[in-house]
Amino acid sequence: MTAAPAAPPALDVRGVTVRFAGLLALDDVSFTVAPGTVHAVIGPNGAGKSTCFNVLSGLYRPTAGTVRLGAAELTRLAPHRIAALGVARTFQNIVTTRGTVADNLMLGRHALSRAGFAATALRLPSAVREQRAHLARAREIAELTGLGAHFDTPVALLPYGDRKRVELARALCLEPRVLLLDEPVAGMNAAERTRTTEVVREIRAELGLSVVLVEHDMGLVMRLADDVTVLDFGRAVAHGTPDEVRRDPEVLRAYLGTGTGTGTAKEGAA
Amino acid sequence: MSDPRSVLRRRAALLPPVLLLCALPFYLDAFWLRIGLFSMAAAVGAVGLGLLSGTAGQLSLGHAFFLAVGAYGYVWLAGEPGPGLPPAVAAVLAVLLAGAAGGLFSPVAGRVKGIYLGVATLALVFLGHHVLLTADSVTGGFNGRSVPPLEVGGFAFADSGPELTVLGVPFGAEERLWYLGLALFALTWFTARGLLRGRPGRALAALSDSETAASVMGVHVARYRSAAFVVSSMYAGLAGVLLALSFRRVVPDYFSLALSVDYLAMIVIGGLGSVAGASAGAVFVTALPLLMTRYADQLPLVATPGSGGGAIGPTEASRYLYGAAIVVILLRAPDGLHGLARRAGARLRRRRRATGPPGTGAAPIPAAGTDPTDPTDPAARAKEHTP
Repeated sequence: MTAAPAAPPALDVRGVTVRFAGLLALDDVSFTVAPGTVHAVIGPNGAGKSTCFNVLSGLYRPTAGTVRLGAAELTRLAPHRIAALGVARTFQNIVTTRGTVADNLMLGRHALSRAGFAATALRLPSAVREQRAHLARAREIAELTGLGAHFDTPVALLPYGDRKRVELARALCLEPRVLLLDEPVAGMNAAERTRTTEVVREIRAELGLSVVLVEHDMGLVMRLADDVTVLDFGRAVAHGTPDEVRRDPEVLRAYLGTGTGTGTAKEGAA
Repeated sequence: MSDPRSVLRRRAALLPPVLLLCALPFYLDAFWLRIGLFSMAAAVGAVGLGLLSGTAGQLSLGHAFFLAVGAYGYVWLAGEPGPGLPPAVAAVLAVLLAGAAGGLFSPVAGRVKGIYLGVATLALVFLGHHVLLTADSVTGGFNGRSVPPLEVGGFAFADSGPELTVLGVPFGAEERLWYLGLALFALTWFTARGLLRGRPGRALAALSDSETAASVMGVHVARYRSAAFVVSSMYAGLAGVLLALSFRRVVPDYFSLALSVDYLAMIVIGGLGSVAGASAGAVFVTALPLLMTRYADQLPLVATPGSGGGAIGPTEASRYLYGAAIVVILLRAPDGLHGLARRAGARLRRRRRATGPPGTGAAPIPAAGTDPTDPTDPAARAKEHTP
C-alpha cells in the first residue's frame, strides 16, 4: 500500500466554462498542473476558485470545456469515480463526519478498499484483514500529519486547526495522485499555519503528488507554489511562477483595483 | 479501532446478559416469554431501520411493508395454498424476498434523500395493506392466515412434535421459539455491528453527514443509499418471519402505518445509529402495551380492556406513555437510551477513578465542559453518534 509513488499524470484544464443561470462563474479557464508540482489558484473573493475545485472533483459539470487527468476525462465522471482515479480534496469550510479521527481517515480509505455489505456484516476474514491493514496505514498518515495523538478522539472535540488537518489527512488517505487543497490554512493562527505548511511540503516531497492549492495567504502561496494561476471574475488573468505573477500588472489590478475609475476596489488578500 | 485486550474485555462483558437470556425460559411463564419473543422480533426490525434511518439518515415509513413481506412471504412459501416449501427454506426465501422488494424500490431509495424518502415510502404501506386485503388466495384477505410452524431437521418450533423436557422444564412453543428468537437476534446484533464498524457503515454515516464529502471520498451515493434500503428491508423481513412465528397468525391490520411509526419510535427512543439502542427501544415500545394490558386492573387511570366507559384503554395509555417518552428524550437526551447509558457509564468510571486509592495518580475531576475529552460535553453529545 505504500508502493513507491509513480509520477502522477498531468492535470489539464481546457476552456472550462461554468454558468449558473445568468452568472458566469468560470469563463474559458485553462491551466495545466505539471506532474509533481504545487499549482496555486489565487484570486479575490468570488473569482471562481472554489467553483474551479468543484469542477475538478466532479461536483459541478462545466457548461463547456474539459478536465483531463492523463487519459481520463474527469468532466464525464461522477465524483466517486474521480476519487477512485486518485483525486482527493479538502473543503474550505471543514466537512468532517461524525465519529473519531480514525473513522474519518478510514472514510478516506473507502475508494481503496473492497469489503462490501455481506463480507463486512459476516466479518469474513478478508474484510477483517483489509480493515486492519487500512487502519494501520490511516494511523501512519495521522502520524505524518501530526494527528497521531488524536487518532481515537472524536473529531467534534478537536480544536479548529486540528479539524482542518483531519480533512487534509482524510484526503491523503486516498493515496491521491492529485491533491486539491481549498484554503488549507484559512482561519488558522500563525503556529497552525506554519505547521500545515510544513505538512504540505513534507507530503509533497514524500509522496510525490501534484497539489492544486487555493489560498488567500500569499506568504504560503509564495513559499509552496511552483506555478500560479490568477483568476478574476471567472477568467484566468495571469499564469506564471510566483515571482512573475507578483509583478504582473493585471494581478495588481485584480487585487488592488486601479485608479482609472472603472475597476471596483475589491477586498485584497491578506 | 482498539487493542485486542479491550475487545476481549468487551466480549466478556456480553457474557452475563447472554447467559441470563439463555436461562430465562427456565424461570418465566409463557406470557413473559411471549413478550420477550415479540421484543426480540421487534429488535431485529428496529436494528434494520436504525441502519437506514439512524445511520444513513434516510427516513422510512415503509418498514411495516417489509415486515409484511417477510411474514406473509414465509406463510405463503411454507403453507397451503402456496408452494409448501420446507419451513426453514421458506424462512430464508422470505428474508430474501423482503430484500428483493427493497431492491425493487431502490430506484427511488437511491435517489430520494432523507425526509422525502419518508413520504415516498408512505405509499408502500398503503399499497401493501391494500394488497394484503385483496389478494385473498395468497394472503387470506381480511382474516389473514395461520402460520405454519418452523421445522428444522424434524425439530418443530411449536407445541406439536415430540415432547421435550429440559432440566425438568417442559419446552413448549414459547420456550423453543425463545431460543430461535435469541439466535436470530444474536445474528442481527453480530452482523449489524459488523456493518456499522466496517467500511459500509462508515460510508453510510458519511452520506448522512455530508453527501458531498462522502462522494469526493469515493462513496457511490446512489448505490449506498439503495444498499442501505435493501439491507434494512432484509432485517425487516427477518423480523416479519419471527413475528409471524410468534403470533401464529398474520392479519393485514397489524402491518399498518402505525407499525412503521412504532419502529421509528423504537430507534428514536433507543438512540439513532446504535444497535444496542435500537434493541432497547424495541423492548420498550413492544413490551409496554403488553404489560399495561396485563396489569391494567392494577394501574390507576387505565381501564381494563373491553370495559369501555370512556376511560383510557391500556393500548392508548401505552401510546401516550411512549409519546411522552419520545418528547422527553428529544428534549433531554437526543441520543436516546444508548446515549444516556453511555454517559452514565462514563460518569461512573470517572467517579471510580476519582475515589480511587490516593497516590495512584487519580486524575483530578475536571469541571464539566472544560475537559476537551469530557464525554458529557454538550457539543460532543450532539455530534457524536458512533455505534
